[in-house]
Amino acid sequence: MTDASMDSAPTKGRLTTVDARTKKRNAAEKRFKAYGLTAILIGLFFLVVLAVSILRSGLPAFTQANVQVEFTLSQDEYDAAEGQMLKTKAYENLFIAALENQLEERGLEVDFDAAAIERLLGKTGGTIREFFLENPDRIGTPVTFDLAASSRVDGYLKGRVTRESVVDSRFLMVSDLDLVDALRDAGIITSGFNWNFITGSDSGVDNPGGAGIGVSVIGSFFMMLVVLALSLPIGVAASIYLEEFAPQNWFTDLIEVNISNLAAVPSIVFGILGLAVFIQFMHLPQSAPLVGGLVLTLMTLPTIIISTRASLKSVPPSIREAALGVGASKMQTVFHHVLPLAAPGILTGTIIGLAQALGETAPLLLIGMVGFIARAYPEGVASGFIDPNSAMPAQIYTWASRADPGFYEKAWGGIIILLIFLLTMNIIAIILRRRFERRW
Amino acid sequence: MYDATYDTTQETAVTDVKIKAKDVQVYYADNHAIKDVSVEIEDKTVTAFIGPSGCGKSTFLRCINRMNDTIDICRVEGDILIDGDDIYDKRVDPVQLRAKVGMVFQKPNPFPKSIYDNIAYGPRIHGMARNKAELDEIVERALRRGAIWDEVKDRLQAPGTGLSGGQQQRLCIARAVATEPEVLLMDEPCSALDPIATAQVEELIDELRQNYAVVIVTHSMQQAARVSQKTAFFHLGHLVEYDDTSKIFTNPEDSRTESYITGRIG
Ligand SMILES: Nc1ncnc2c1ncn2[C@@H]1O[C@H](COP(=O)(O)OP(=O)(O)OP(=O)(O)O)[C@@H](O)[C@H]1O
Ligand SMILES: [Mg+2]
Repeated sequence: MTDASMDSAPTKGRLTTVDARTKKRNAAEKRFKAYGLTAILIGLFFLVVLAVSILRSGLPAFTQANVQVEFTLSQDEYDAAEGQMLKTKAYENLFIAALENQLEERGLEVDFDAAAIERLLGKTGGTIREFFLENPDRIGTPVTFDLAASSRVDGYLKGRVTRESVVDSRFLMVSDLDLVDALRDAGIITSGFNWNFITGSDSGVDNPGGAGIGVSVIGSFFMMLVVLALSLPIGVAASIYLEEFAPQNWFTDLIEVNISNLAAVPSIVFGILGLAVFIQFMHLPQSAPLVGGLVLTLMTLPTIIISTRASLKSVPPSIREAALGVGASKMQTVFHHVLPLAAPGILTGTIIGLAQALGETAPLLLIGMVGFIARAYPEGVASGFIDPNSAMPAQIYTWASRADPGFYEKAWGGIIILLIFLLTMNIIAIILRRRFERRW
Repeated sequence: MYDATYDTTQETAVTDVKIKAKDVQVYYADNHAIKDVSVEIEDKTVTAFIGPSGCGKSTFLRCINRMNDTIDICRVEGDILIDGDDIYDKRVDPVQLRAKVGMVFQKPNPFPKSIYDNIAYGPRIHGMARNKAELDEIVERALRRGAIWDEVKDRLQAPGTGLSGGQQQRLCIARAVATEPEVLLMDEPCSALDPIATAQVEELIDELRQNYAVVIVTHSMQQAARVSQKTAFFHLGHLVEYDDTSKIFTNPEDSRTESYITGRIG
């Protein structure tokens, strides 16, 4: 019926009946929406998978099995230990002896010997020695130590190591696990939050229990300060000049093309450039966050310049005309009107650039900011910039490449800290952007 | 360098003519937009530029405050003198010139700031007020002259971009007069206004004539006839005819002018 009426008269048809063409268009629109939704769901799915796997693998890094022993060091023992070649080993032996005594006193019903206890402990000697060197007045008085258990014992408590998976080795015997169970029941081996992981420094390759990311967080922090302090003003000034003041000619075109090219240069190239220019030619200190910051600044600049220019371009020309029209100079026009309007976009670009820089590993390895450098806290602001240090991603990379599975766990934990650092940075940027936006 | 005597002789010589253009050519790259325009615009007079769309009215207007400097491809030749000084002279700073020659644009373009700051911006950067009270006074006077005071006096801190199109345009007019220019260039200032606001702006233009030279581009013959004393008719980049408004509208010399005002071209 509708067909007949459409044939006979070239009218648009009744509004209440949807014609075939409209139906087709509506169907296409629905399909497109479905595609988009699917794409978002796939993205979300992978995000969730990523987050879950990071948390699952990384959270154990935040707890650590500790062995708790009260023990008294006599002056004689102290002198004897300090007189030996392997000083930390001597302290470790003293600690083992003390632990052995304590176990015997308590009358635990398992077989054990000094070797077994040694296998259960992490690297303890250094910590004890440091304590007594710093607190000589505590010699001769009872001190309670809470020292990291070995990575295998730690893994056993976290379920990473099971009785079935243990193969007798010089690291751990199956029989040792009975001792561990007994010690745990006795409250000597406990599992607690590992503050040292957040605040500590990197440890030796055989001591995953003592490894912390704190020092390299500080390294990253100082590096980000350098990147921010250099790339933001330089990038914004360069963009303003190129966008608002520079004449359009072959020279500025050339600069433009090269900035875009720079943004696509692999980061390792910047690393080798930094090594050649900053360290070998300018003799800046090796492994210093300052140099790392300089290298990452080179890498971040194109990102900031490109996004700043885009946001300057998006400010309507009528605003510039209005300001020029009331007699503002070019500079006043830019700083009073254009820049405030472009600020949110500039901030977005800056945070993207900084986030990239924060996660960059390769160039840092080339200038010597490898993970095991992060051994000591800087002693002040200046030292934070120039003393050898590592950065979070380099530290994570170093851990991931170490043999002990305990370090693998630390690498994941490090990623969590890195992401938290990034999130904090982003939140600060968002708050700042809100500020700027409110001033329309 | 200028010396004082030179200046005074110049000023006494040009009491009547405020702006004098001689053989002005404007090119946008290869597009010859203004051809051989010579005109003398009088002080304390409203001069209307009329002509079909694309004939170069805005282009010529923008030459008078060197707004065309901001367009890279635009090239201006010939001389434009204000009070006897060539504004395209190397010694002239366009920024100083624009403080003297205010402009209202075709599309309203308030700053994305408060109404108060929109008006106060010009006086602030030119150091016209010594304190807040003086600035308040300048703002109020400008808004009154822009015929918008009554509508915004209770919300001076509201954003200027939140006003209606017509209110925005009057805000822009107020902004232009706030810096006390000597010449006011208006590019179709009423194209976004309703008849009441238009009448108010026309009244304002008439008032401004007491002190300033006003140049107004308009597509409305009635408006040109109402507000202007002199009218210039542009066609395809040429200044076809320039004379008293009454003469142009009653007894034009050129046939093209006659065709345009009677509605046959444009
Ligand atoms: N920014 C520009 N770049 C290139 N060409 C331009 C530019 N502005 C104007 N033109 C050209 O100059 C000529 C005159 O334009 P203009 O804007 O002066 O016309 P108009 O008389 O103001 O027109 P309307 O009444 O529509 O506003 C037109 O041919 C236009 O294409
Ligand atoms: Mg125009």
